[in-house]
Order: sequence, then C-alpha cells, then structure tokens
Amino acid sequence: MQKLINTLVLGVAGIFVVAAGFALVQQMVKQFTLQSLAANDISVEQAVLVAQGAIDACKKDNSVISVAVVDHDGLVRFMLRGDGASAQDVDDARKKAYTARTFRSPTSVWMEHTAMDAVENGKRVDLYGQRFLENTIAKKGGMPILWHGDAIGGVGVTGSKGGEERDEACAKAGVEAIADQLL
Amino acid sequence: MSRISLMLKAAVAAGVLCAAAVPAQAQSSSITSEQAMAALRAVQAYAKNDGSDPSLTVLDRDGNVVLMLKGNGAAPHNIGLSLRKAQTANLFKMKSIDWRDKTMPGKPDADQRNTPNAIPLGGGVPIMVGNEIIGAVGVSGTRGGQEGDTAGAQAGADAAAAMVKRLQASN
Repeated sequence: MQKLINTLVLGVAGIFVVAAGFALVQQMVKQFTLQSLAANDISVEQAVLVAQGAIDACKKDNSVISVAVVDHDGLVRFMLRGDGASAQDVDDARKKAYTARTFRSPTSVWMEHTAMDAVENGKRVDLYGQRFLENTIAKKGGMPILWHGDAIGGVGVTGSKGGEERDEACAKAGVEAIADQLL
Repeated sequence: MSRISLMLKAAVAAGVLCAAAVPAQAQSSSITSEQAMAALRAVQAYAKNDGSDPSLTVLDRDGNVVLMLKGNGAAPHNIGLSLRKAQTANLFKMKSIDWRDKTMPGKPDADQRNTPNAIPLGGGVPIMVGNEIIGAVGVSGTRGGQEGDTAGAQAGADAAAAMVKRLQASN
C-alpha cells in the first residue's frame, strides 16, 4: 500500500517536472527565436489630451492656436486647425511636431544645434544641412514626447499671440498634460 | 422745375453707380474647431459602441482640413482614405456612398470618378445646416465596412450640425 502511494506521488511529481520543463523550453524558444519588433507609440487618447493641454495653456492670453501631434513614426496622430488659421499654419504645426519627434528635442534646441555658427565644446559644428530635410522646420514651438529615453511622438503649435516663444510654452504645457503617463 | 428733375436724375444715377461700385459681399459659414471636436467625440462614441478604432478627418466648407485623427491600430491607408472620403462628400455635397452608387461604371455620371481627390467609397458625409454645406466628415476603419464608416461619419456630422443649430437658435 505504502509502495503504491509512493509510486503515485512520484508519478504526479514526474508529470509536474516534465510539464515545467516543457514550458521552460517553450519559453526559451520564444525568447531566442526572432519575433516582430514592438515599439511604444502615443495613443489617440494621449494625443487629444496633449492637444487640449496646449490649447488650454494658450487660451490664457486669448490665443487661438493650431496644434498637431505626430506619433512614433512621425505621422499625424491628431491635428486641429484653430479658427481663422490658414492651411499653412496647421501644416507648420505638423512640421514642428515632426521635427521635434525626429530629432528627439525641442525645435528651439535643434535650431541652436543646426545654426550656421553653431559651436559645441568650443568647436564649430556644421549641421545646417539637417534643415534641408523634408518636413523639418526651423521654428520654435515643437516639443518631443519622450518616454524612457525614446520619442514616442511630438507636438507642434502655431498661431499664439506671443509668437514662437509662446508657441513653445504652449506645446510644453501640452506634453505636461500627460506627464504622469510618461514616467 | 426741369433743373430739379435734372438734379434728381443725376442723384439717382450717382446712387446707381455707387451701388454698382460696391457689390454685395459674399457670405458663407464654415465649421469651427469646436464643432469639429464635437464631431470627433460623436465618432468616438460610435466607435466605442462598435468596438473599433477608426481614423477620421473633418473638413471645412472650402475643403481645408480642420481636424485629423489616426486610430491607434490604424492601417497606413486609413487616414488618407478618411481625408478623401470627406473631400468626396464636400465636393459633391452628398454622402460618398451615394456618390459611389451614382457613379457606378456604365451610369451617366461614371466619368465623375476621374475627379482628383474623390473616391467612390462609403464613409464621407457632408455637414449640412438646412440646405447649406458647412463642412464634411470622413471616417475609415470602423467595423461594418463602408456602411459602418458612413454611420460613424453621420454621427459626427449630426453632432457638428446640432451644435451650429443650437448656436443659431440662441442668437
């Protein structure tokens, strides 16, 4: 009788060991074989919050802005033209967002970096050529949306009353609207 | 007496000339960004019911983009389709699904399909206030194909038009 119980217990334990081993091997195969790439991206919900944050910040001085949010790939996720703004205004907002996304920095910082007479660490750097890239724009008012070191999107603002400086402040306020989601 | 009538005639002539020199100004109304946002929320409410994640475009009456949104899981073509559906509705002042049926190959209007930017697919709906078109909504990527896209766009267009009508009623 004791022998039978022992055999049963051993048998059940054996099944568990084999199953666990099988699962482990399967997991390892998954780990080491090629899978599709995964990238984090800004969602529709986040994009609308960012845009609303920028619009609200600019409303303080009664500015009516156009705002664009691009995604991880630099494509438009959300775009809203301010009342009375031209089609050019909203496209500039998109370009600001794209520039900030693709260079992972505020457009103002990128402009300093790519200026004709840019100097870094006491040395002249000539990156002016970057300004010839398609869809980039050398105007302040674009901010990257950064998450764990990578840009998952960008936001661009045009048309505020305070000019490009205010455009940038409003874009920054937009990103800050989802700051708690970017930790 | 004849001098007075002459002066009168001169005055009338001057008045007519002035009126001719200042033509009546054309007036048209168009959608605001707030009304576009109302359309967006209505389309999103439709999508939530539907369990889908559509892309949409809202145009003003001149065909300029007022609002554009790409769904989270959108395929690369979705946002471009939503734009062209809205453009079709705006150009022909009818639902793009009706325009598709009207321009079927073999029908008298079939050549309209050569219009640039138009696309014979359902999902574009004009935003009408009375007989006037003030913009258009285009939707792509709902469940239910072209009929589903049309229903979603209709919800958006209705929401925007309702907002305009409320404003007109309060004025």
